[in-house]
Amino acid sequence: MSDRANDLAFYQDLADLMNGHPDQYETLGEVDFTLGVVMAAEGGSDLRLRLRFEDLGCADVSPLSEGGEASCDCWLEGDTDSWGEMFDDITTNGRATGRRTINSLTLVGDRIDVRGDDPMGVDKFFRFNQTIQQFFDGAAQLAPASA
Amino acid sequence: MALATDESVHELPEMTPMGTPLDWSWLRGTRAEWGMNPVPSRRGLTMMDIATGTYGEVLEEPPYRSMAPRGADIDEDTPDMGYILNHKSQVWADNVVELYEEAVARQWSSTRDIPWNELQELPSDIEHAMCQLCTVLTEIEMIATDLPAKWMWRMNHHFVEAKMFLATQIMDEARHADVFRKRALANGGGLLLAGSGDESLLRSILEAKTYTQASALLHLLGEGFILDVFRQGELIAPTHVEKKIFRLSMQDEARHVAYGTMHIRQAIAGDPDVADEIHEALDHGEQFLIEFGTSPVLSSALAMLLGGGSEHIEDKGFPMQSLLATKIFTSYLARCERAGLNRIDRTDLPLELLGIDIDAFDRTGV
Repeated sequence: MSDRANDLAFYQDLADLMNGHPDQYETLGEVDFTLGVVMAAEGGSDLRLRLRFEDLGCADVSPLSEGGEASCDCWLEGDTDSWGEMFDDITTNGRATGRRTINSLTLVGDRIDVRGDDPMGVDKFFRFNQTIQQFFDGAAQLAPASA
Repeated sequence: MALATDESVHELPEMTPMGTPLDWSWLRGTRAEWGMNPVPSRRGLTMMDIATGTYGEVLEEPPYRSMAPRGADIDEDTPDMGYILNHKSQVWADNVVELYEEAVARQWSSTRDIPWNELQELPSDIEHAMCQLCTVLTEIEMIATDLPAKWMWRMNHHFVEAKMFLATQIMDEARHADVFRKRALANGGGLLLAGSGDESLLRSILEAKTYTQASALLHLLGEGFILDVFRQGELIAPTHVEKKIFRLSMQDEARHVAYGTMHIRQAIAGDPDVADEIHEALDHGEQFLIEFGTSPVLSSALAMLLGGGSEHIEDKGFPMQSLLATKIFTSYLARCERAGLNRIDRTDLPLELLGIDIDAFDRTGV
């Protein structure tokens, strides 16, 4: 799974999963939030993407240009290894557990941090946190990529 | 103009059978806008969708001080309800309508949405620390119901969306008091020490002279602090049950902070002199918050939970507490900047001790 975590198509699959099951997000409520993901890869390509959440779905998954994260409400910044470990935990346990939740990982901020130019944008990460977590937890439902 | 033209309404009685007069002016034409036909968005008909024409015009200084709804054809002699917050900048925030809808959509139930049956027996020290934290949270959460309630009936009804949002905050905080009270009792423990020191911060919020001072103390300072404590729930919660409590509460708290930040910004934009009175309130409030945050009861319970038990209070609990304190106060000072308040150059907070680099701090305020 951690291999797929560096692939934009994986996030489109997560978006499709969310968009196919709005009922599962209804109790969490509608969202209006743009999240950037910027993960540095040692000796490889960095992961840079933009996730646009609207109402009960993910309306857009797109690549993020260098510096494009400033156009997001906030962004997650870290390394691809830590990011991949989060998805490994999700696929192993069915959902993020312990200190592998997105809130946990960004709390100490030593490996993955939440950043933003506007504190109001960063606070959206907390306002919509459980929707974002459930979106990433969708990884457990996706079939592993074929070899 | 609302004007019924159907011929069937031409012959209308002037009196009831009991002899009391009837007024058909609402049918024959009022000055209120008619036929707005708002289009529901994908999520349904929101308050943003119906904010069209005069219905969406929030005046800086509304001409009436009654409960008459904004956009209606209001009687000239409508009575004064004694509102004292009659300027938009005194209560409004640019994000308040969206926050109201968000709050309504994201309500949850402490009875239904927390898997209480999955609580596990915990080591005695951890259970005691969790119950102590819940005792403190149960005590302080209700300030965020009492404070808006104290001011809401003094707010001009023209700003109804702000009052509606504050009503959701009251519900949110009632639920927080409820869920932490339940947690204290649900796993074989109970409520523990309610220290006298906690009351100083609460009193300073409740007794603030103006609503904007109170909002700065409550939303920006107090709830900003509690938002970060709820975030820490990821590290202090012994099981997934407590984690869920903290995560759901965190989302609520973040809305309140978002309102407060933008309200303070609006208040200062409307009257720059207000900044001085807010600074004055925060000068005192920050000291009370430091007293509260470092109170022997709260800090010992947090250190126990962050350390994962009494064995690791000093090697894990205290260092983690220190690290998180840096994040808490950095976030608070950044929100102050966003609200238009340069606190970092004025505050008496022990910035060096908190690990905040004053030279590296972003003062742009966005």
